[in-house]
Amino acid sequence: MNWRDISLRIRAVLFRKQFEQDLEDELASHFEMQTRKNLAQGMDAAEAKRQAAIQFGGRARVSEECRDARGVHWITTLFQDAVYAARGLRRSPIFAATAVATIALGLGLDTALFTVFNAYYFAPVNVRDPHSLYDISWRDRAGGFHGYAWPEYQEFLSQNPPFSEVTAYQGAEVRLNGRAAYGLLVTAEYFAMLGGHASLGRTLLPEDAPGNEIVLSHLAWQNRFGSDPAMVGKTLLLHGRTFRVLGIAQAGFRGLGARPVDFWVPLTAAAQINGRQPDLFGPQHPRSLTIIARLKPEYGSSQSEAAATLWIRRLTAGDPDSEKAVQAVLTSVATYKPWKPSNTLTFAPILVAFSLVLLLGCANVANMMLARALSRQRELGIRVSLGASRARLIRQLLTESAVLALPAAAAGFAASQFLIWISIHVLYATLPPGIAGFAEKLPELSPDLRVFGYNLAIALASAVLFGLAPALRATRKDVIQAVQGDIATAFGPSRLRNLLVVAQVTVCALLLITTGVLLRGVLRAEDLSTSLSKRETIEIVPDEDFRARTLDRVSRDPAVDLLAAALTSPVARPFFLTVRAQDGGALLKMSVNSVSPEYFTLFDLPVLRGRNFTREEARAADPVVIVSHTAAQRLWPNQDPVGRSLRLVPDSATSPRFRTFPTARVIGVSRDDLSRWITDGEERTLIYFPSTAQAAGNVLFAGVRSDVETARRSLDAGLAAIDPSAAVTQRFQVRDFAAEEGYTFRLAYWATSAIGLLALLLTLTGIYGVVAFLVSQRKKEIGIRMALGATSGAISGLIVKQSMRLALIGTASGAALALGVSKALSSSLVIINTFDALTYLAGVLLVLAACAFAAYFPTRRATRIDPVASLRYD
Amino acid sequence: MKPKPHLEILQGTLDLLILRTLRVEPLHGWAVSERIQQVSDDVLQVNQGSLYPAMHRLEHRGWIEAEWKTSQLGRRARFYRLTAAGRKQLELESENWDRLTTAIGKIMRLA
Repeated sequence: MNWRDISLRIRAVLFRKQFEQDLEDELASHFEMQTRKNLAQGMDAAEAKRQAAIQFGGRARVSEECRDARGVHWITTLFQDAVYAARGLRRSPIFAATAVATIALGLGLDTALFTVFNAYYFAPVNVRDPHSLYDISWRDRAGGFHGYAWPEYQEFLSQNPPFSEVTAYQGAEVRLNGRAAYGLLVTAEYFAMLGGHASLGRTLLPEDAPGNEIVLSHLAWQNRFGSDPAMVGKTLLLHGRTFRVLGIAQAGFRGLGARPVDFWVPLTAAAQINGRQPDLFGPQHPRSLTIIARLKPEYGSSQSEAAATLWIRRLTAGDPDSEKAVQAVLTSVATYKPWKPSNTLTFAPILVAFSLVLLLGCANVANMMLARALSRQRELGIRVSLGASRARLIRQLLTESAVLALPAAAAGFAASQFLIWISIHVLYATLPPGIAGFAEKLPELSPDLRVFGYNLAIALASAVLFGLAPALRATRKDVIQAVQGDIATAFGPSRLRNLLVVAQVTVCALLLITTGVLLRGVLRAEDLSTSLSKRETIEIVPDEDFRARTLDRVSRDPAVDLLAAALTSPVARPFFLTVRAQDGGALLKMSVNSVSPEYFTLFDLPVLRGRNFTREEARAADPVVIVSHTAAQRLWPNQDPVGRSLRLVPDSATSPRFRTFPTARVIGVSRDDLSRWITDGEERTLIYFPSTAQAAGNVLFAGVRSDVETARRSLDAGLAAIDPSAAVTQRFQVRDFAAEEGYTFRLAYWATSAIGLLALLLTLTGIYGVVAFLVSQRKKEIGIRMALGATSGAISGLIVKQSMRLALIGTASGAALALGVSKALSSSLVIINTFDALTYLAGVLLVLAACAFAAYFPTRRATRIDPVASLRYD
Repeated sequence: MKPKPHLEILQGTLDLLILRTLRVEPLHGWAVSERIQQVSDDVLQVNQGSLYPAMHRLEHRGWIEAEWKTSQLGRRARFYRLTAAGRKQLELESENWDRLTTAIGKIMRLA
């Protein structure tokens, strides 16, 4: 294919009329000349014309061949096929509507998923030339990531020639006019480099003198200051210091990354906001800056990574080994999240589950198309007799599928938008308060060209999926030839159709059983932790600068009736310590926590034997411990642990708190509590050391007696009043912790149950369709059987047996697959019971019942066949 | 008058004949078929029905170009002209043709 060819083709399509006319004229002129020659040879006028026509051959055929030679013929026939298909579909609107709706459902689900995906991984963030921007961090020997010190940022560009621009920032969680806010301390180049403009006032400029100035994000300006038009120039209280509002960022400018930013202040204000942290510009040179740099177009990212690695290795050469750089790491910040190959593994199950629904839909429609194509045997047969090639017929049938796919794409797109809308609402309504902030981090889920393209591509791909097999089958030579005889006998039950049904039932059973397994996992997880169930408790992480005042405030709060403290929250990621019984025995790794005496009361973990810590022991952090019942059993099987000693074997990762003494005496045994959470495996071994609420590093737990929301508000007001520069203290219900940890689980089972139900619905309609078609195909056979004396019971038995055989094969393979899936899930989520017999049984029974239900109606119709009428039929 | 028996044009040689005929001057379709017939002393008769699809195909390959012109008899006709690429193709194909006929001739004489 050369350029001339393409341009001729394009012209042939665009100026079709002109080309047709030219062709007509050309052939006409040929005729005229030939006729003239014939006349000159002495023929009369009529004979001359007749001879010319004979010499030329079939003129219509020649025109057709010329059009073919132009290579655009298929476009015109495509158009004709499409019109023809549309006309045919208009005659069977129910078929068309069902097919479109079925595909649209699956497509909607897929497109919604892709929209979310696209927003995170493919849609570029709204800054200037995002694809050349990289986050440059470095890794130490242990794999920990590090930032940069101020002088390192300053020399970055001169030491790294592959980069043209650089900016650095620090995140800050502080109070803005009393309310918690998240903002960035940025270098002067930040806005210019990212192309961020102001909608009011101005942004920070490189030539600005250091001062207390702040730029608010559009969202913060809207939500916190009611879009005050006179905001610029006003002063705000940020971390207890006054800042002058310089401007409001444009609505679309959200900076980099997924976390929404409320404000930006110059990095020079770091000392005022960082509080006790070492001064960024001081002699300690803390490595607390994140560097974002723009790569010059002529450099590759791996080449620049190597250069940056050399640079950072040189810088850290004098540092202790654990702080030495091993490698610089460049991460593109063009999208909300960088796409890594490992993501494929994470998302593959989701993708597969969603695609399965679409595939189910395709199988359904394929079955419908097959039935339709077979009922059109006569039409196809006649077309073959008239000279249509098989390729031509397949092309026409595929065009029909495409005609169905286009409205399905539109409907699927609408469905995806609705699905996203409803999911976001459900998400906002159900998110546990502790992670409600997550919802704010959602990127904008608006469709773009990528989403449209995906939607259309998948729609057309599914058209081929559901259209090709029926088209191939319906145009087979033996099938076409069967036109002369009786179609029904030529077919019998098709293996293809059976395969489709079995596949559907398989997928349906797989999805439903997986849903059940996940659901039971969540229920179990929420049941497990005894300490979380009893009392409403709010967790408070105090700012160490204000610990005493925070404690004072909280204990005076009328809503609080009991205050406890611990190093970590129950079932939060615990610390571990290797121990063994002093008098011998194996080394055991157990969870440890240090808690105040009130902890056991607050979380309803009564001391079963021995006694609780005394105040003196707690204050002095004495070498005494309380062990959980299970821990006691492990350490001293069938013996009384109270009074015995525990040998502590700390390693380098052990918190300093648990290495102050080599042995500890057991003074009590507490009730068991879950010590590890669902992702780590179920464990109930716990060792508690004594501590107090005053000890630095401990979090506080306030047991509240009234309504939690009221208490929460009262606490918040009290804490905010302590000092405007107190760090943001996290407050959430401890009980929510379970909900939080289980939330992804919940999302997973909601998604799988929604998908499972859809699958069930599709399978129901699929089986119904197939059985109904079989019944109508076997009308004659059934009529004969009945005429020969078969009872209606025998007839329905025959049909039900056939359909149930397919259902059984399907559920069996579905259950087997589900076993594999839950096995895979249980490797990352320990709570999942792979061999949950009840769930499997329920899933299998549900699917079988659904199949029987779907087969029932067409079967009844079969038994009502009038033998006489059906024998006369055809 | 009874026409002499014609020979069918060998499959695949029609393109070569068209290109060769157009080497001398631009011609319209009918003239091409006439020219082939005349030059071959009426031995070869072009199936006029396959002539036009062939010429359209050659046009798409870029070997010939078409243009509407008025013929000597004052009738508008579509004249085809050999392009540079067509000339090259013609050389290639004539060479192939020579080799083929030589080979066949040898076999006919010696085998």
